[in-house]
Amino acid sequence: MNLGRRNFLQFMGGTALAATGIQPGWAADEPLRVGSILSVTGPAAFLGEDMKAGLQLAVDEINAAGGIGGRKIAWTFYDAESQTQKAISATRRLISQDKVELILSGGNMSGIALAMAPMAESASIPFISSEGALAIVTPVAERKWVFKSTVDDEDVLERIADYFAKKNIKKVALIADTSGFGQGAVTQMKKVGPRRNLDVAYESFDPADTDMMPQLTRIRDSGAEAIICWTVTPAGVVFLKQAQQLGLDSRTLVHSYGFVSSHYMTLAGDAAKSVLLASLKFPVGDQLPDKDPLKAGILRLFRSYQERFNRAASLYAAESYDAAMLAKEALSKVGGDVSKLPQGMEQVKNFAGMSGVFSFSPERHSGLSKKDIVLINWRDGRFNLADYE
Amino acid sequence: MTTTILQLLVAGVGTGSIYALIALGFNVVFKSTGAMNFAQGEWVVMGGMISALLFAATSNIGLACALAVVIVIMAGIASERLVIWPLRRPNTLLITLVSIGLAICTRSLVMLVLGKKPVGYPGFSQVSTLVLGGVAVQTQTLWIIGLTLAFLLAMHLFFERSMLGKALRAAAADRDAAAIVGVRVETTVMLSFAIAAFAGALAGAIITPLTLSSYDQGAMFGFKGFSAAMLGGVGSLPGAVVGGLALGLLEAFGSFYISSDFKDAIAFTVLLLILFARPSGLLGRADVIKV
Repeated sequence: MNLGRRNFLQFMGGTALAATGIQPGWAADEPLRVGSILSVTGPAAFLGEDMKAGLQLAVDEINAAGGIGGRKIAWTFYDAESQTQKAISATRRLISQDKVELILSGGNMSGIALAMAPMAESASIPFISSEGALAIVTPVAERKWVFKSTVDDEDVLERIADYFAKKNIKKVALIADTSGFGQGAVTQMKKVGPRRNLDVAYESFDPADTDMMPQLTRIRDSGAEAIICWTVTPAGVVFLKQAQQLGLDSRTLVHSYGFVSSHYMTLAGDAAKSVLLASLKFPVGDQLPDKDPLKAGILRLFRSYQERFNRAASLYAAESYDAAMLAKEALSKVGGDVSKLPQGMEQVKNFAGMSGVFSFSPERHSGLSKKDIVLINWRDGRFNLADYE
Repeated sequence: MTTTILQLLVAGVGTGSIYALIALGFNVVFKSTGAMNFAQGEWVVMGGMISALLFAATSNIGLACALAVVIVIMAGIASERLVIWPLRRPNTLLITLVSIGLAICTRSLVMLVLGKKPVGYPGFSQVSTLVLGGVAVQTQTLWIIGLTLAFLLAMHLFFERSMLGKALRAAAADRDAAAIVGVRVETTVMLSFAIAAFAGALAGAIITPLTLSSYDQGAMFGFKGFSAAMLGGVGSLPGAVVGGLALGLLEAFGSFYISSDFKDAIAFTVLLLILFARPSGLLGRADVIKV
C-alpha cells in the first residue's frame, strides 16, 4: 500500500475511531485496569513496601488463575512518597490519564486515603482502602464507592476493654501520638471508655519525640493499672524502654495493631517482654487453633510470600492482599461488572481473608469486627498468641 | 512531689544537652559565615545511624561511635568543600538556602545508603537504670550530660586557648582584618563546618540508645537546635548551652504541669515571648551595625 502523508494520517485516524467506536463498556479479553498508590519512600515507607508486595502477590495470583471474570489485571502503581499532595496528583492521574476502573490501597497513611476517598467517590470509581481511619468510609451515604479492608479502632479498643474486664482492670491510661492515627484512637476511646466503665487518663506525644518521661511520670502518679500506647512510629520503642525504666512494666502495657513489627520489638530488646499487642490474627497464624477459619489461608500466604520475596510476610502485606481479594470476591457476585462493584461488596459476608473474616453491608463499609482481634506478645524472637478470645 | 520534680529535671537536662550540642553547631557556622546551616540536624541522624551500622559490625559501642563521629566530620568537611566553598559570591542568604538543599540531599543519601528502618543500639553502660533517691535515672542520660559537658569544655578551651580557635574567632569578628594578619579565612569556614558536624554527630551517637534513630528525624532535630540557638542568642557558645537547657526543661515541665498535647506549643510560646522581650536571645548581644 502506498500512502501519502495526508492519506496515512486519515487512515490512522479512521482506525483509531473504529477502535473506540465498536467498544462496549468493556471487552472480555481487555485487561481490567487497576491502580494503586502506596508510599514506598518517606516516613511511612516501611509499611508501603510490604503492602506493595502484598498487592503484587495478589495480582499475580489472580492473573495466574485466569483473572477476574476472564479479564486479566493490568496494574498501575504510583509512589505517594508519604505526601498527601503527591498522592492527590497521582490519584488524578490514575483516574483521568490511566483511566483505571478500580483503585486498591491509598498511600498506606490514613491521611492520604482520606484525601483520595472523595476523589474516587466523585469519579464513581470503586476504591478499596487498606488504611485504618474509620472516616475513610463514613458517612456511608457520601462513600458509596469506598470500602476498607482494615479493622476499626473502636473494635480494637472494645477488644482491649474485654481483656481488661477479664483481668479486673478499671483504671487505664491512653498515650497516643499526635498524628491522625493516634488522635483517632483518642476520639474512639472517649466513646468506649465510659461505655465499659473504664477510668481513662489521656496523654499524647509527638511522633518525633525522644523523651516521654514527663508523660510517663504523670501516668505513674495517676495510678493507672494499664497503659495503652497508640502509634506506628519508633517513638513507641521509646515508650517501652522508658516505661521499663520507671518500673511501669509491672503494670499491663498494651500496644495497638499499628506497632506489630518484629523490627520494633527487636529494637526495644528487653523492654519488649512486658508488652501485649492488640493485633489481627495474621502474625500468629501458625499458633491459631485448627478450627480458626483463617489459619489455612494464612499458612498458604506465609509460604508463597516467603518464596516470592524471600522474607516473612507482615500484617501490612496481608491487609493489601485482602483488598485485592475482596475486589475479586465482590466482582464475582456481580458478574464481573466493575460499575456494580459496590453492590457486590455489600453482599460479601463471612469471607475469610488474611486479616480476618469480612462482612460488609450497605450500612457498613468496613468489614472486620472485634472477633478478628487477638492479643499477642513477643517472646523468643517471635510473636506469640497470648489471648485468643 | 520532689521526686517528680527531680525526675522532670533529669529528663529536661538530658534532652536539653542534646539541643545544646545541636545549637552549638548552628552557632559555630553562624559565627564564621553569618548564615544558618540547616543541614545540622541531618548530621545528628548520620551520627546515630552510622554508629548503629558500625556497632552491628564491630559490637564495640565506643569504637563504633568514635568512628561514626569521625566519618560525619569528614562528611561535614566534604559538604563545605563541595557546596559552600565553590560559591562565587557567598552571602548569608545564599549559604542558608544552599544549606537547605544540602540537608535534603544528605537526608536522601542517608535513606539510600543506610536504609529507611529506625535503628538503635544498647546504652554505653551495662546497667541501664539507676534509682537515686526515688528517681529513675538512665545511665545513658548521665553519659549524655557528661559527654556534652566535656565537649563544651573542650570547645571553650579550643576557642580561648588554641591558635586555631583564636584564628577562627578573628575571622568571625572581621574577615578582612583577619586575612591581613595572615588567617586563611576560607579554611576557617571549613573548620567551622567540621566542628558543627562533630557536635551534631556526637549528639546523634549518644541519644540513639535512648530514642533510636531514623533517617527522617533530621528536620526535627534541626528545628529544635535552631530554636535553642535563637533562645540562647545566635552565635554565642554559652548561649547554646543556656538555650538548649532552657528548651529541654520547658518541654519537660510544660508537658507535665500543663498538658502533653501542647508540649511544643508551650515551649515555643515561651520562646516567642522571650524573643519579643530580648530579640537577640538570652545571652546574645545586639549587633552594632555600622552604616
